[in-house]
Amino acid sequence: MAMDREAREPASSPTDGLATYFDGASSRRRAVTLGLSDQLTIREGDRTLAAWAYGDVRRADGPSGILRLSCLSAPALARLEVRDAALAARLVERCASIDDNTPGRGGVAAVVGWSLAAAASIVAVVLFGLPLAADRLTPLVPDAFERRLGEVADAQVKTMFDARVCDNAAGQRAFAKLVTAIRQAAGLDTSVQSGVLSSSIPNALALPGGKVYLFDGLLAKAENPDEIAGVLAHELGHLKHRDNIRGLIHDSGASFLIGLLFGDITGSSALIFASRTMVTSSHSREAEQNADSFAIDVMHRLGRPAKPTGELLFRVTGKEGGKGLSILASHPLTEDRLARMSREDRAPSGPPLLTAAEWRSLKSICDAKPGDAKPGNAKPRDTKI
Amino acid sequence: MNQMNWLPQVPPPSVPSVPPPMPVAFSGRRGEFFDLVRRGAGLEFVTLGFYRFWLLTDMRRHLWANTLVDGDGAEYTGRARELLIGFLVALAILLPIYLGYFLVGLEAEHIQAFASIPLVAFFYVFGQFAIYRARRYRLTRTVWRGVRFWMSGSGWMYALQASLWGLLVVSTLGLALPWRTAALERYKMRHSFYGEVQGGFEGRGWEFFKRGWWLWLLAPVAMYVFPLAPFVYGAFKAVEWRWWLSGVRLGGVRVESSLPRGALIGLYWKVIGWVVVLALVFAAYLALSAALVASMTGAPMADFFRSQEFAKSIPLLALAAVGYLAFALAVNVVIRIYLLRDLWVKVMGSVNITGIEAVRNVATRGELAGALGEGFADGLDVGGL
Repeated sequence: MAMDREAREPASSPTDGLATYFDGASSRRRAVTLGLSDQLTIREGDRTLAAWAYGDVRRADGPSGILRLSCLSAPALARLEVRDAALAARLVERCASIDDNTPGRGGVAAVVGWSLAAAASIVAVVLFGLPLAADRLTPLVPDAFERRLGEVADAQVKTMFDARVCDNAAGQRAFAKLVTAIRQAAGLDTSVQSGVLSSSIPNALALPGGKVYLFDGLLAKAENPDEIAGVLAHELGHLKHRDNIRGLIHDSGASFLIGLLFGDITGSSALIFASRTMVTSSHSREAEQNADSFAIDVMHRLGRPAKPTGELLFRVTGKEGGKGLSILASHPLTEDRLARMSREDRAPSGPPLLTAAEWRSLKSICDAKPGDAKPGNAKPRDTKI
Repeated sequence: MNQMNWLPQVPPPSVPSVPPPMPVAFSGRRGEFFDLVRRGAGLEFVTLGFYRFWLLTDMRRHLWANTLVDGDGAEYTGRARELLIGFLVALAILLPIYLGYFLVGLEAEHIQAFASIPLVAFFYVFGQFAIYRARRYRLTRTVWRGVRFWMSGSGWMYALQASLWGLLVVSTLGLALPWRTAALERYKMRHSFYGEVQGGFEGRGWEFFKRGWWLWLLAPVAMYVFPLAPFVYGAFKAVEWRWWLSGVRLGGVRVESSLPRGALIGLYWKVIGWVVVLALVFAAYLALSAALVASMTGAPMADFFRSQEFAKSIPLLALAAVGYLAFALAVNVVIRIYLLRDLWVKVMGSVNITGIEAVRNVATRGELAGALGEGFADGLDVGGL
């Protein structure tokens, strides 16, 4: 279509052609003739609007079938549009650097390379850097902050489990005796607070800032004081290692970094969730193992056997292998924990931690208001022991 | 070869006294866009999502350049590197904000358990701010006839309006939505400029309501009767597009759209169909890789599945994750083809423009905006095209 109009226009030389020009200062559309001499001249009638050096001419994005050009030495938005394919080909031939600034040319390999490097570095930071950072940063977190965190968690736990602290006097005395014995053997000071919560879920928790809760549901399943003592020692192990703070730093770091990686791929939230669960639960399994070692150690120091605790856990959860994805579990498998506690078990050498009468009072610590504890709906696998 | 490839004739220089309405043409080939998103998805797969900035930029370049108004294609001058830097800067800013959010939340929890939940509202407001700033970036990268669009106004003012209107919409169960959309569009369009020409929006909330109230009644039904949902949503989007386009003004330029109510429903069904097909392929892939892993372990197939050994097999999990990523990216390709490109072509094809001569000689004005808004939108997951 440009050709037949070109025939009517007075063409100054055989290399000239028709084009459309926008000068970048206004949106006025100008029909121009191009002169292809030592530089590209753009003329409207007799007036020369611009002269572009071929070396400065760059390709701009245009509709299919139209060659759209810009020029480095012209206003940034000045555009020349050529619809005639033959003229466009002649122009492209003369402009040696026409595609120098076109995005996506040769840059793809660099993008892929840098992305892979970034991904590798993120994975390395998640796997190796974060645990290290959590270990180093945990001692720097002030106790006051941790206690504040603990108070918040305390209120949440009580709301979530709809529970109160049991205060039957005889039971309370027995519980205090048990906790004090373990605390001293564990080498923790008197800042540790503890209590029994009136919840039928068989569980126990350590909160940041030095608070340990035993749930009545676990007490109900226990058959002797050694079983409970091991559980309490395990929770004190979490306190001693400050696993809450470490876990907080580690998990929030992992969430952030893994979120960075997958970005906005639709449905990637599932992937992000899966990989985050995998990373944080491997960290949590390690912390649980350390707490178990601590508990075994404390029980040895008290001269009491460690195996009963493993038996209590097994009674609560049953055999876990094959029930779910073990690499996604936050705790080691119960049977493995039982096996370990049995392996490192020693015959009792010290006195019993509680008398038979004290054990009975502890078991009924929540009985002051019968029927207070609600039937739990949590599955045994949710245990936090 | 393809009707989309048709190029409108260049209008003759002598303009008739009353110009006819000007349709908008689209010159891009579907195959070209498909190649672009397919290749982009492959690179997203290899780079674990980092390629998204380049893919998004390429998609915009294709759609902008091939949209012809009054015979001239627009141009997108944004670059992927800007998006990447915007994203990284946004992350650097979001990190302390997340930390501050955590600390403020902690204090709120201290007063009352779970009192920090309303703080999520902050991120809603921030997301609205990001939406406004991201639009500003896109608009300042949009060039037509050598003159760029630009935007004034305040992102925070917009976020405030959007949030207050959002509250009203929630409290009226969605009935106030048309008035919210109208108010926000008025703000956005009043602050949008093409060179020195100011935009405007004449759509009334009441008009939108009159066209769409029956969809509001159907929406609760569609939530329970699944096959109805694409019809209701498709009709709603068509009504919204038509109402929005018909309200857009730019100086003396008026836009009209004749998009039929049912125009987009087919697109949604095609997406659903493709997602079902892809899900079947994904399921077959999972079955195949399970069989492969089972055969490699040497155990009889039935045992492998009965013992639930398969749920713990690392190779199988890795295969599943890779398959899932491929599945998610394939769904992305489908969505980009139908809900981005085809929807764009359908909607633009319904547009008629009158008074285009008002922008035939507009002087350039306005500054480029940074890509930080896009970065926030990406970081907060509120990004659009």
